Amino acid sequence: MTDKHNMSEINERLVNVTIDGKAITAPASLSTIQALWHAGYPRIKSVGCLEGVCGSCRVLVRREGNSEVKTQLGCQTLIEEGMQVMFLVFPRPTHHTYKLENINSSWEVQTKFHKIFPEASHCRECGGCNASCPKGIDVMRGVELAAKGRFREAGELFVECVMCDLCLTACPELIAPNHVGLFSRRVTAYFHIRPSNLIRRLEGLQRGKFQVTEE
Amino acid sequence: MTGIPYSEALVNYQSAKSRDLPESDMATDELLQAFHPDYREGSLVSLKVGPNQGDKCHRELAGLLQSDARIDEADLAGATIVETDVLVIGGGGAGCAAALMAEQSGARVIMATKLRLGDSNTVMAEGGIQASIERGDTPQMHLDDTLKAGHNRGDRKLVSQMVMDAPDVIRWLIQQGMQFDLDEFGDLMTRRAGGTSADRVVYYRDYTGLEMMRALRESVRNSKIDVWDYSPVVELMSNESGHCAGAVISNLKDCSYVLIEARSVILATGGIGRMHLNGFPTSNHFGATGDGLVLAYRLGAQLRDLDSFQYHPTGLAYPHHLAGTLITEGVRSAGAHLLNGLGERFVDELMTRDHVSAAILRECAEGRGVRVDENTAGVWLDTPGVERKTPGILKERLPKLVELGRKCGINPAEMPLLVYPTLHYQNGGIVIDENGLSTVPGLYCVGEVSGGIHGRNRIMGNALLEIISFGRQAGIKAAEMTHGRGHKKVTIGHLSKLRRELAVAGMPMDVKGPMLFPECAKFEKDADYEGFRRKKQ
Ligand SMILES: Cc1cc2nc3c(=O)[nH]c(=O)nc-3n(C[C@H](O)[C@H](O)[C@H](O)COP(=O)(O)OP(=O)(O)OC[C@H]3O[C@@H](n4cnc5c(N)ncnc54)[C@H](O)[C@@H]3O)c2cc1C
Ligand code: SF4
Ligand code: SF4
Ligand code: FES
Repeated sequence: MTDKHNMSEINERLVNVTIDGKAITAPASLSTIQALWHAGYPRIKSVGCLEGVCGSCRVLVRREGNSEVKTQLGCQTLIEEGMQVMFLVFPRPTHHTYKLENINSSWEVQTKFHKIFPEASHCRECGGCNASCPKGIDVMRGVELAAKGRFREAGELFVECVMCDLCLTACPELIAPNHVGLFSRRVTAYFHIRPSNLIRRLEGLQRGKFQVTEE
Repeated sequence: MTGIPYSEALVNYQSAKSRDLPESDMATDELLQAFHPDYREGSLVSLKVGPNQGDKCHRELAGLLQSDARIDEADLAGATIVETDVLVIGGGGAGCAAALMAEQSGARVIMATKLRLGDSNTVMAEGGIQASIERGDTPQMHLDDTLKAGHNRGDRKLVSQMVMDAPDVIRWLIQQGMQFDLDEFGDLMTRRAGGTSADRVVYYRDYTGLEMMRALRESVRNSKIDVWDYSPVVELMSNESGHCAGAVISNLKDCSYVLIEARSVILATGGIGRMHLNGFPTSNHFGATGDGLVLAYRLGAQLRDLDSFQYHPTGLAYPHHLAGTLITEGVRSAGAHLLNGLGERFVDELMTRDHVSAAILRECAEGRGVRVDENTAGVWLDTPGVERKTPGILKERLPKLVELGRKCGINPAEMPLLVYPTLHYQNGGIVIDENGLSTVPGLYCVGEVSGGIHGRNRIMGNALLEIISFGRQAGIKAAEMTHGRGHKKVTIGHLSKLRRELAVAGMPMDVKGPMLFPECAKFEKDADYEGFRRKKQ
């Protein structure tokens, strides 16, 4: 159990970081975005929810004493001594396009999937997507499952996906793994969510069973 | 702030034996008068110019509603002009629903949004969306609950239409590819919102908004809708007869102005959280700066309930860098208690949000809060209590809460979180009719920017319902307008009148609106934009 008093003391500590080439000194409790603002630098691009759900704030991070460069969400990354941070430019959108309405029945989903995402079956299992995902999603496994037609299972892996497109940028086969994940989720809803309580109510409404009094 | 020191309060929390509801609580009206921020002295002023002249309005909002425009005719010389049928402003849930329906009805649609498509309050929603679908529940009960929670100030006609549409909204969302939590037989699970009489909130974990936004964004991206991101609207335009006829956007990518002329405009810019009314922290996204209210008001749109805002009871109070972050009402729906520094309950946690927030503010004001430092106090949200009652529930149903705990460095299954009310929602907004049409012809307004549904207090799940229900309706209606004749002349002529009125009323002309970005982002100083008004040549 963390004692909050100690925590607040630690958080006031100042650390030195480099963000987009600017040397900044700021309290360790700030995120990379907050640190930029704190130091008086403007930043509006790549800022959204500030809560880790919109996927706008993609950053490259290198920590002191470690040559590895990681991709993370800037609003979720607290600054550390010696950290180097670079905001990434806008991702290029995927070239894949589809409409759920054009899939005539659930029997067709697999065939259509391979037409829409022909690259998915060429995954070379390089793991680039997994390494880039700030949410720790097993993206590669998701692509594999979707390519096998196991869409429900594939979609389940992407529950926390914020569509930051980092895996899309990382993929050498241009698979757009996050869109594969989202496709898997969407077809599952589109073809298989048929709640009887909702349908019963819709029928009732259609028959005029429910009215409200509008005075 | 006064209060019981943190470590002492923690001991009180751990040793408290009974968690009984306090015998007598204050009546809602009395409690709100005494402690709700809406009733704070000095926070309201009368508007001096515009369609709501004389009405009470929050001081900070009034400053922006009566601010000077950011542009004038000279800025627009040589600007590119683009033409379309329907212009949708804002890329949250309301904007997406409207754009999709307008496109489906055959209109050419441009969607201009300030940040990325989907950067919005919608993506952050957690708790769920209301629709009466359970056996013991009816649209009538949904209507009654909504009006009652809004202190009978909501518009009965609008709410009636919305509650009748609710089940179909859920069906439509499923058809867009949105998932919901289902029970073992495939039925929709429901939970209860504070201040309501039935289990009526459907949801996807505590990621309802994320799931909704993912599906809608993908629908929009795969349609013919032309999405312009990083394109904040800085002014609306009108035609010779005062009909809204487009907007001026400022392209943040190449720092130029573009004029979009449209047969009709749908404004879906969301809320005001980042105005930090009364100095409160907020749960809202970075772009929630009330732009739509300012833009519409200038063009002559009537607003309502400008003195009523929702402070959500459970914003994170501590640590500081996360202050204001929302903890979903779903946690209280699941049975979590609120406890003061003495380890005692002090309010029925499932009362309406305004009541619960006021009760928390009372505890803190009267010295029974948990004190962290001079500026920070709060009360406990007893998450370990819920976990004890239903082991595993946090991880399974409230993963976002667990994740938030991780960021604070605590495990919510073992330690309670410290909470304090956070500025969450704009209850009022632009007056609309059943089609989302404002009092300005050609200007539709949907989502949080509009007013009338929630009266003076909103219940969980009605906002997500409203944005889709009215978004769809306005999209269809706006597309119909494209059959009319085109505009003769499209201008920002309304600004001369505005400036005259501001001068007559003696308003300071150095305040510029809309706000566009929170001050902390230092937007005006950004070298890329050179102070925004001077565009790069
Ligand atoms: C943390 C949180 C949790 C919530 N949980 C729930 C819940 O469980 N259930 C519920 O019913 N409601 C909930 N709400 C409320 C609900 O999410 C919002 O009221 C609703 O999503 C608003 O939708 P919207 O489309 O009107 O606005 P938003 O989703 O905020 O979208 C507004 C869009 O307009 C854009 N914009 C703003 N200004 C401009 C401009 N000048 N030019 C161009 N574009 C502009 C923004 O960038 C954004 O894309 C929650 C809100 C928050 C903040
Ligand atoms: S799966 Fe891809 S898009 Fe989704 S969060 Fe991970 S990296 Fe981002
Ligand atoms: S990055 Fe692309 S190719 Fe590599 S494992 Fe992921 S999906 Fe496969
Ligand atoms: S700003 Fe939304 S994820 Fe970081």
